[in-house]
Amino acid sequence: MSSQRSIEILEPKITGDRNMGETFFKRFTFNQLFQHWVMIGTFMLLVISGMPLKFPDAWWSPVIINLLGGFAMRTYIHHAAGLTMVALGVYHIVFHVFVDKESMLDRKVWPTIKDAKDFWQTIMFYFGKAEEPKYGRYSWKEKFDYWGAFWGMVMLCVTGLVMLFPFKAMEVIPYAYVQLSLIIHTDEALLATLFIFIVHWWNVHYSPEVFPMSKAWLTGNLSEEQMKHEHPLEYEEIMRQMNDTGEKRSSGR
Amino acid sequence: MINYIKHQVEVKITIKEKRVKRRIDRLERYWQMSICKKCYSLIRNKYIWILMLILSVFTGVIAAQEDVSCYHCHPNVVTQFRNNIHYNNGLSCVDCHGGSNTTESGLISSSVMSGNFIGRPTRENITDVCSKCHGQETKDYKTSIHWDMIQKGHTDAATCTDCHGIHDIRAISDPNSSTNHKNSPATCAKCHSNKEMMSAWYYGIKSDTFDTYKESFHWRALDEGYTLVATCADCHENHKTKSTTDPTSSTYPDNLPKTCGKENCHAGVNIDAKVAQGLVHDKESLHTDQFVFNKTAMGPQMNYYFLGPFDLAYWIAIFFKILTTAVIGFFAGMVVLDFFSRIKIKRRF
Repeated sequence: MSSQRSIEILEPKITGDRNMGETFFKRFTFNQLFQHWVMIGTFMLLVISGMPLKFPDAWWSPVIINLLGGFAMRTYIHHAAGLTMVALGVYHIVFHVFVDKESMLDRKVWPTIKDAKDFWQTIMFYFGKAEEPKYGRYSWKEKFDYWGAFWGMVMLCVTGLVMLFPFKAMEVIPYAYVQLSLIIHTDEALLATLFIFIVHWWNVHYSPEVFPMSKAWLTGNLSEEQMKHEHPLEYEEIMRQMNDTGEKRSSGR
Repeated sequence: MINYIKHQVEVKITIKEKRVKRRIDRLERYWQMSICKKCYSLIRNKYIWILMLILSVFTGVIAAQEDVSCYHCHPNVVTQFRNNIHYNNGLSCVDCHGGSNTTESGLISSSVMSGNFIGRPTRENITDVCSKCHGQETKDYKTSIHWDMIQKGHTDAATCTDCHGIHDIRAISDPNSSTNHKNSPATCAKCHSNKEMMSAWYYGIKSDTFDTYKESFHWRALDEGYTLVATCADCHENHKTKSTTDPTSSTYPDNLPKTCGKENCHAGVNIDAKVAQGLVHDKESLHTDQFVFNKTAMGPQMNYYFLGPFDLAYWIAIFFKILTTAVIGFFAGMVVLDFFSRIKIKRRF
């Protein structure tokens, strides 16, 4: 919510044995987690109910439509989930532009020159020519995920609404643009689906580093070890700030 | 001694009798259980023979009173006619083909083909036959472009029987009927997907209307069994089918908002909605990768797809093809590299 968020450290839980003596770093607020959960739910429903119509001749298309309870039900699910996603997008914009008091320029999510450097260093790292880049709060992959989803949401919500209310839209735009909406909607949806299922799920689920999954999407917390490994710059920043404010807290508990 | 032997023999006989009796009992039990018993007992009953005799005579008499004489030579046609709604409503061959209804059973009746018998009506005259009962429908049909074409001498144009069938006419509500709402696309496609037939008259008629309809949500829903969608006849009218250039046509550009905004369809369409500014029958292959600078030769509806010389429908699809291939290809490569780099790190430690 504010820049102070990054130095929030949860008190070690005394009651739970498993968490005894471990320090957690707050990564996402409950608000952000909740947005992500709604996004997951609506996205899955939209993919399942939408893809049979993108590929109507595939053998699995009628199978999925029947599993969903027929074509009318498929359409109903798609529209309901789509409208929820539109509401989520509006909420996201409204909240993070108007409600969140953190100054827009201070947000860590904007792409920077360091991201371009990190990107090149990552490729070099993959070929064994460099060290792994040290990331701050968000790595370039996470920023790409976010802005990719942002672009996708804008495209899909606008074209989706045009197709949901075609005759309202046609009072403003020609019918040809409704047809173009269909092309944009389905192609962008395919891109988003492939990206989420291949790239995003690799980063947060399948990668040997985090397998079976990174629990940050459920708890909003990162462990100290994860923090040191995945966001070393942010970790150092937090430690420095803590020392500056005079809060002496042992980091190697 | 002899008594003893006698006794022994008797005992043996009774044992054998018992054994035989047991077998007979078992067979009897099986017989009681078997399904053969039911018919066998019927056939053994002489009254059933009398009943069947009466029934066969009865059906014979009834059959002889119907179109036995037509059936004599046209068995397939008459069999088809028995699925017909007209047959169920009590009409017979005579009502369409003329001639006489009185027959002498067992002979090819000369009286059947007498009088006003017309045999097989020509394609121009089929409307005359149907209009005897279906006056309003014929009147509507005669305003259609199909009838115009027949008048101009193109007798291949659709007339009543092409859509409704000849001898196996069914009610519109019958799901097997060729004029049923959900079968309408297939029925129209019989002629309108036939390239030779469509180009024989003049070059204005497209033969890809069914293919383009298949791209629409209407067809995709219909194909999955959701029938509350528009098929051919809903927009183009069933009997009053007219050219899109005809101002009285339901598909004339100015009338499109009204046609789409029918009460059971997209009710509440604004009369100014720009429905006509684009191809209602749209398909990927209709769009071109050519840069078109002079758009005067182009159809007015095609114009709206263009941004400058670019056909947006083509270039947007290309844009997303490139974007998807590039992004997914690149990041899938990153995933593979990531995987191998992790393995290397693990080996190092």
